[in-house]
Amino acid sequence: MPTWQLRLLRGRPGSSPRLETYRVELPAEAYLIDAVEKIWAEQDRSLLFRHACHHASCGACGVRVNGRERLMCITPLREFSPDGVIQVEPLRHFPWLGDLLVDVSPMMRRMAEVGFAIIRRDELTADRPLPEGIEQITRFEDCIECGLCLSACPVMAADEAYLGPATLAAIERMLAEPRGGDTARLLTLADDPHGAWRCHSAMECTAVCPSNVDPASAIGRLRRRLIVEKLRRWIGGGR
Amino acid sequence: MREVPRWKRASGWIDLRGRREGGLAFLLMRLTGIGLVIYLFLHLYVLRLLAQGPEAWDAFIAMAKSPLFLALDGLLILGILYHALNGVRVTLLGLGIGVPHQARLFWGVMALTLLMTAIAAYAIFTIAG
Amino acid sequence: MWIWQAFTGLLLLILLTLHMVFNHFVVEGGLRTYRDVVAYLSHPVVFTWEILFLVVVTAHALMGVRAILLDLGIGPGTDRWLKRGLTLVGLGIIGYGVWLSWWIRSRGA
Repeated sequence: MPTWQLRLLRGRPGSSPRLETYRVELPAEAYLIDAVEKIWAEQDRSLLFRHACHHASCGACGVRVNGRERLMCITPLREFSPDGVIQVEPLRHFPWLGDLLVDVSPMMRRMAEVGFAIIRRDELTADRPLPEGIEQITRFEDCIECGLCLSACPVMAADEAYLGPATLAAIERMLAEPRGGDTARLLTLADDPHGAWRCHSAMECTAVCPSNVDPASAIGRLRRRLIVEKLRRWIGGGR
Repeated sequence: MREVPRWKRASGWIDLRGRREGGLAFLLMRLTGIGLVIYLFLHLYVLRLLAQGPEAWDAFIAMAKSPLFLALDGLLILGILYHALNGVRVTLLGLGIGVPHQARLFWGVMALTLLMTAIAAYAIFTIAG
Repeated sequence: MWIWQAFTGLLLLILLTLHMVFNHFVVEGGLRTYRDVVAYLSHPVVFTWEILFLVVVTAHALMGVRAILLDLGIGPGTDRWLKRGLTLVGLGIIGYGVWLSWWIRSRGA
């Protein structure tokens, strides 16, 4: 069984973080989350990290692997060489809680503010009879709120007030399918110097997204909506 | 909870670790932009020589034909072309057009920039030479 | 702001091309002598588009400067002053450019 070398960022707020190397034996079929869990289980129980589902649907285990934002649960060890080092650091642009753990509540608050629901009643099967024992069919949105896009975004690096790719994509989703929601409020939220106009099209959000949300395209569609809205108001003689 | 230092936040957009074509394109866009703004100021400042009459201006023109100046002109054209071509790319992407092709578009911008700079450099040295 | 940056950017594609071609690439030696500059700017159409170019390039440049400064973590209060300051700088630059072009043009009369 190959031995893998992991370099993890360790530390707690209030002291300078340091990189520490760990060796862990695992088959090449294992994933990065297995390696980090094994280090926690066998070498250091004080290691802080977040995980839950192990199959890319909870969005909890986002980190930076060799500088790039990934979910540990779908990062296979076979991608790396046992001779090399796999460096794992916490996501950027979130408050740091220690080791690989960050506080994702700023993002969650924004998602809540726009009223984004990741689970919705499925409209495709709404008029069909439900199978026995099933009360309601729900559908999950693609976004798993993992925060990788926020960590990868260079604008997020500079501007705390920026709504960020996940939230803007959420707004766009809700405008595309409002289901009676308050679209005017969402448009106002997005039409802000720290909203849809703040994006500099570095495209890194879409590049790191593990769930095909494609926030960069969503921001583009959101801008088109805002432009159409502005033109309509302008031609209509509104404010 | 540890606050990220202000200087670190401010320099975050320069950090290319883990970034790909899109991030590199954005960084280059900024750097050429800053360069072009500085050039614009210099250019307007130099043009004041025109108000000082023929001697002042024509002396400057003679100096501006030195190989060093012409090489700097080449650098300027490189910056302008990248900023302009990537500007078109970013405008389309910013409207959600062609996002899946953004990396290829970036390499296209780079190739076109270099090709057009080479042509312009050749033209500069033949016209002024 | 993004819309204006994109719009002025696209205008610049045309205006800067004209500026470069007519000032450098079709000129013998690539740079105009004093007398040629005076003659060039005396043409009303040339004068108009060069002034238009000046206005658009200044606006584009200063909006770009603001976008970068905003990324240094400037708050809304500072931004208000920044916008006023940059507007003044822009008007200054345009004023200087128009004055200079007008002055040069008057040498040909």
